[in-house]
Amino acid sequence: MSAQTGRSNNVVMDSLAQIGHCGLFLLRILASVPRSMRYVRETVRQLWFVGAMSLTIIMTCGLFVGMVLGLQLYHVLAIFGGTSATGSVVALAIYRELGPVVTALLFAGRAGTSITAEIGLMRATDQIAAMEMMAVDPIAYVAAPRFLAGLIAMPLLCCVFCAMGVFGGHLVGVSWLGIDNGTFWSNMTATVDVWQDIVSGVVWKSAAFGAVIALIAVFQGYTTPPTSEGVAYATTRTVVASSIAILALDFVLTAFLM
Amino acid sequence: MSQRKSYAVGTGMFIVLGFAALAYLATQTSSIANSHQGASYAVQTQFANVGQLKERAPVKVAGVRVGQVQSISLEPGKDVADVTLSIEKKYGQIPTDSVATIYTSGLLGDQYVGVQFGSAKTFVSDGGHLGLTRSATSLEDMLSKFVGAGGAADAIGGTFSVKADFTNVGALSVGAPVKMSGVAIGSVASIKADPTKLDAEVTLAIDKKFSQIPDDSSAAIFTSGLIGSQYVAIQPGGSPNSLKDGDQLVLTQSSMQLEDLIGKFLVNGSSSGANNAGGNGSSNTPAGKH
Repeated sequence: MSAQTGRSNNVVMDSLAQIGHCGLFLLRILASVPRSMRYVRETVRQLWFVGAMSLTIIMTCGLFVGMVLGLQLYHVLAIFGGTSATGSVVALAIYRELGPVVTALLFAGRAGTSITAEIGLMRATDQIAAMEMMAVDPIAYVAAPRFLAGLIAMPLLCCVFCAMGVFGGHLVGVSWLGIDNGTFWSNMTATVDVWQDIVSGVVWKSAAFGAVIALIAVFQGYTTPPTSEGVAYATTRTVVASSIAILALDFVLTAFLM
Repeated sequence: MSQRKSYAVGTGMFIVLGFAALAYLATQTSSIANSHQGASYAVQTQFANVGQLKERAPVKVAGVRVGQVQSISLEPGKDVADVTLSIEKKYGQIPTDSVATIYTSGLLGDQYVGVQFGSAKTFVSDGGHLGLTRSATSLEDMLSKFVGAGGAADAIGGTFSVKADFTNVGALSVGAPVKMSGVAIGSVASIKADPTKLDAEVTLAIDKKFSQIPDDSSAAIFTSGLIGSQYVAIQPGGSPNSLKDGDQLVLTQSSMQLEDLIGKFLVNGSSSGANNAGGNGSSNTPAGKH
């Protein structure tokens, strides 16, 4: 890092420099979005890789998160005689908090790492330098499509996660534990607000997480030292930095959107 | 090329699935009607106690939602809360002598405003006024009617801080709200045990706006709902004199202990003839013998 930024080994200075580079990199990506429209097929291909290929893990995890929530909440609410509220509490917990955050963490692990490793290897094998030689802007051709794909895929994946979570909660609550089906749904529809919980809770939040994860993944890959160690290190940093950024941003966004 | 096409088809399916999930969440698991408010008109009402009623709480006729609570405010110098209801235009035919009541959904649910139609031939118009209201019933009021503990109240001090002695503050904490008609007008500044009088001396910090509280008002410690936090409720008296800074509230009603109340019910019910129930600790005595 110090060699790259020409700064000292001071951790604070290095982190600040990293954040600054990342911000400038975001501006470069945004500036190149119009140019990357020429490579719209590349964006579609990335959307396939980061979005459609992540569906299995997102759906499985959503189902299990919903199921365990239903199970846990049923037994806690039974203490107060309020098991009929299971449906609404499962839905609110998933929409407002667990859906966006768990999807984002899974997305960082499943898609973020592969973006970093792919771009890192492109950098290590001089493919990016070759693109520049051929007058193909690597930001527009490599970085922007992946960034856009992350931004678009996250809200869609999060909606799928939430739907599977509610289905899992219904499976445990209604089919196994015997909560009345009508009570389950009517309590849920009475408490879930479509703008507050679904649009701002699920869609906006997960879009913000998608942008942050994609930015970190692309940036780490793009600036990796061109060695196999460097790629490994960059992949790790993607997961660590994305996880911290997601959880910190989650608090800030929740405070704003509430 | 065929490879590329399969990407595009798969990606398209993914996008469609994502939007289908969003549509499912929005239509099947949430009530879109709750968030959408059509053209509406405002109706003014006044309640002596709004309890836990919140803005955007539903307004219902015959249990069906017809609008929402737009605003809740307390005008300085008055002891009734102004509540503005926003009712949808299509439910425009509400008789002027209808009664607005604050209800609770279930024992622990949210509160809402229920409107029962009167028989008048004229209807409330935009900006109109519903004069007949019934306030939120607080659990303590209902219990104290059963038990017959009228509650003592007393003179509040004037503009800034007022002292009140309670024999039991229960779970009241510093910073808890002081409410009049269910609207917060101040907070509890301090709670101290008095070493000579052997009771709890509570200092209430009341907003200067509310300087016209009669000096024979009473203070009572109430609980919000069944398991809510505790607050001090000021019940205005009829005295022409207002409270002044540093005054002492003589008449107070302490926090009710659910155990004591249940104990009194049990003792009253079982021993109608024998007056052997001790005034204090009556509920503890039978348990202690076992």
